[in-house]
Amino acid sequence: MFTTLLSDRKHIENKYHIASEPFDPFRRMAYHGVGYDEETGLDDEGIIKGLEAMEKDLSSLPHPVAKAKAVEYVLENNRLYINEHDYFIGMYSLNRLADRVTFSKWEKEALKMRKPELLELYNDFNASGAVSIWPDYDHVVPDWDSLMTLGFPGILERAREYRLKKGALTEEQKAFFDGIEIEYSAIIEFLRRAYRHALTKKHKKAEEVAAALLSLSNGAPKNIYEAMMLIHIYFLVSESIDHFQVRSLGNGLDYTLYPFYSRDLEAGTFTHGEIRELLGYFLLQWSAIGNYWGQPFYLGGTNRDGSTKYNELSADILDVYDALGLYNPKIQIKVNKNTPKEILSKVLEMVRHGVSSFVFCCEPGMIKAVMSYGASYEEALTYDIRGCYETGVRANEVCSASGYINAAKAVEYALSDGYDVLCGKQIGLRTGNIENFVTFEDFYRAVILQWEYLIEKSIEITNDFERFFGFVNPSSMYSATVITSLENSRDGYQGGVKFNNSAMLNCGFASLVDSVMAVREFVYGKKELTLPQLKAVLDNNWEGHELLRLRIKKSSHKYGNGNEMTDLYTEMLGRYFANKVNNRPNARGGVFKAIMHSARQYVVQGNNTPATPDGRKSGEELSKNASPSAGMDKNGVTALLSSVTKINPTLYPESFCLDVFLHPSAVQGEDGIAAMRGIIYTYMQKDGMSLQFNVFSSETLRDAQKNPEKYKNLQVRVCGWNVLWNNLSREEQEMYIRRAENAT
Amino acid sequence: MKARIFDIKRFAVHDGDGIRTTVFFKGCPLRCVWCHNPEGISFSSELEFNSQRCLGCRECAVVCPLHTFFGGVHEIKREDCVSCGKCVEICPGDCLKIYGQEISPEELLPKLTEDRDFYDNSGGGVTLSGGECLMYPGFCRVLLSELKKEGIHTAVDTCGYVPLESIETVLPFTDVFLYDLKALDEEVHLRCTGGSNKIILENLMYLNSMGAEVEIRVPFVPGYNDGEIEKIAVFLSKLKCVKAVKVLPYHNLAGLKYTALGMKNTLPKRVPTEAELFSARDIMKNHGLTIKE
Repeated sequence: MFTTLLSDRKHIENKYHIASEPFDPFRRMAYHGVGYDEETGLDDEGIIKGLEAMEKDLSSLPHPVAKAKAVEYVLENNRLYINEHDYFIGMYSLNRLADRVTFSKWEKEALKMRKPELLELYNDFNASGAVSIWPDYDHVVPDWDSLMTLGFPGILERAREYRLKKGALTEEQKAFFDGIEIEYSAIIEFLRRAYRHALTKKHKKAEEVAAALLSLSNGAPKNIYEAMMLIHIYFLVSESIDHFQVRSLGNGLDYTLYPFYSRDLEAGTFTHGEIRELLGYFLLQWSAIGNYWGQPFYLGGTNRDGSTKYNELSADILDVYDALGLYNPKIQIKVNKNTPKEILSKVLEMVRHGVSSFVFCCEPGMIKAVMSYGASYEEALTYDIRGCYETGVRANEVCSASGYINAAKAVEYALSDGYDVLCGKQIGLRTGNIENFVTFEDFYRAVILQWEYLIEKSIEITNDFERFFGFVNPSSMYSATVITSLENSRDGYQGGVKFNNSAMLNCGFASLVDSVMAVREFVYGKKELTLPQLKAVLDNNWEGHELLRLRIKKSSHKYGNGNEMTDLYTEMLGRYFANKVNNRPNARGGVFKAIMHSARQYVVQGNNTPATPDGRKSGEELSKNASPSAGMDKNGVTALLSSVTKINPTLYPESFCLDVFLHPSAVQGEDGIAAMRGIIYTYMQKDGMSLQFNVFSSETLRDAQKNPEKYKNLQVRVCGWNVLWNNLSREEQEMYIRRAENAT
Repeated sequence: MKARIFDIKRFAVHDGDGIRTTVFFKGCPLRCVWCHNPEGISFSSELEFNSQRCLGCRECAVVCPLHTFFGGVHEIKREDCVSCGKCVEICPGDCLKIYGQEISPEELLPKLTEDRDFYDNSGGGVTLSGGECLMYPGFCRVLLSELKKEGIHTAVDTCGYVPLESIETVLPFTDVFLYDLKALDEEVHLRCTGGSNKIILENLMYLNSMGAEVEIRVPFVPGYNDGEIEKIAVFLSKLKCVKAVKVLPYHNLAGLKYTALGMKNTLPKRVPTEAELFSARDIMKNHGLTIKE
């Protein structure tokens, strides 16, 4: 399929670090360009020195201006890479150096302005694992349509027009437009510098790189190669200097690139083969960077007339992705009734062969979800998928992921009267001594109150720090792409876009349900032991009570198994959280959105959560996303889906994600594809939102644990992303094996 | 009206098209030496005891004197067991299980309609299997006709070793028969299954004459029926009712189940090689039969 790509591949993969050497994807910002020309700029130390020299001057400027100047300095001095093995450029320093004189400083200042009692709680919540909460700048997608039709110079020009139209400006508005002016001018100047550097290179690729850079410095991209280069450069600048992750490449990569694709093919600018090869070079850029969470983009969608947005380019992207055996970037597949069967089959084929970088995003549920906080059908129809599988109004929504609320802590605090053993202090609410919990209702009330407290305080804390979003991290680069932000002359992170939302994450939900049901059954139903006795057992981490623990684990009153009473509690507790969170006003003129998703917190918070009544031992992971606790779904995938969707998934407008484990033998042959499709369609019919598969046998995983060298490419779906098996901790591997054992 | 079943398997993907729910009826008239569902052979309820999974906690002995732990070895006096299930309930582990539950069509039906969305979205439905489901023809007829009223696709998985009337009884409500054919030679069949294949072939001819839809299952057991493949293929190629043939590779993984049920393990040791399997399927294909993998 490729001519030069396969031989160039290893050079690209060694662009930021030597791929064969150990690499820590959590610390990818600490890695640097390898083999970059020293004449093209400074190293980190040099840049930092320069920034520090500017610091005094910057401190008197409004933040958007000061930040833009710092970004400008880094762009002017960052070393460049233009290589005979690559069609894309590289930047030496990826580690957000401008932060030193901007973001980091202002964050400290904002801390001093935050309400002391909430700041204390903020620290306690994070330390105890009750709520993982922090200001989030990682979930935004620019308006790629604007970027594609205008290019960097056009974005700048358009901002100037809005500035003129506005007439008299306040100081704040002036700073907003100045920030855009400086930052976009700096990007254009950066393109010219890279162009001049490319001219010094004497190879074929450099000529093409130079031509594209020149073109982008003058206007909008003219062909698919330039469009890809624009996406890549926007990404590099935003993530590595501007301190904003870019949480989707294109508003649908196939949709965004398609106009160029069809034009280029028709005009003969590129052959089909050349485009596929360029796509390969493009996708490999993110394999080269290698961040832990994976770089997302999505495919497909539905047009206004009901037809599918999948096109020939979608198939090409999947082909190239498959041929290269990539696992980063990761891909979200929008699914609807109109999704072409060949596309879905192709993806399912990859999934069942162990490619775990896909998540299926069902449009009907997601569209309703987006409409539930006030978007019109048309706004919702073109929703963006951001990050893992979060939804949002395309090019007009900033939604942060703020508080990861650990539901299992509500149970712990109900049993401990709000005292956190780990931190040795009162963190939860005082809900009374358990000696006085005579009925199940007494206990249940305490759990609800503790949970409510965690939710309410997380909302207060979020509002307390999100006031300072614009102060700490002005988003000139992003805001300039969004027309609403320009119309409002206001930063997108300060309420400038149409939907300015914040998300609250429901974490460890199945652990909560199972714990409540265990207390209901064993303490108040069968009366096997009293609540204080159970508390003592939990305090001792089940020691000496293994049989009780196993019996509790074996009980059919478990989340996700079609047990009627458990399903009822699942539905109502699920609704309780959503009702507490949804459409509550936030500090930026928007609302809160509930999300059933736990990212990596099911491991992190699990570490900090003592033994729970569901039979879980201290420190073990909690349930993740809308999924059951590991090993607790015993009645198969259909029972699981039916139980889980008893909660109306659209009550979680930011997203609702379910993990499905399947044994390879269940999905063999054409029947296997039909079965997987049946699962997705049924989930979609029940308004389910995102769904991801892990197709493995426990035998394979055991073997992989023993012989890591044999399984260098084995990847599993963790949460909204996939990782290489060998990068999981032993503990995490064990949990996967336990889940896989149930999937027979 | 009640029948005895031993399992209801949801998300069954090997018992007909799409996602299905399969009901396993208890009791079988044949005694195939390779049977991988020995819990389906007896018509009575049975206790399964998997000693490898026993925790040695002795909780079962507290509720039932038939469980003994002399010298630390967990043993059960099976001959007196009435399958009351008390030991299963108290067991904190995963080593005891009762096979055999009396159920009426009214009780069973809601369990089978539960996954209808999955059937609709995958071209699936409900499969009656076993044991031998047609040992309960009246029950199956009622159940199948209710399922058809619900618009659910139905499959009957049978060994065919049943009176013709049993087949007639369910025919109007059965969308597809998953029909076993183990040998064409009567001697071979008798040796492998303990029964003659005469009635099986007659029943199949009847289905053919009635224009039924049939998918044939041929368990492929080297050393037992490998000499039969060609003959089976020739025979099947003349039947227009046969929509597809599935050659099922014999596996010997069911040995533990025999031990756990206190039964004598009759399983052959040798499993087919990929090459043997390929060639068996090839023979079928050469006779114009559609192979399903």
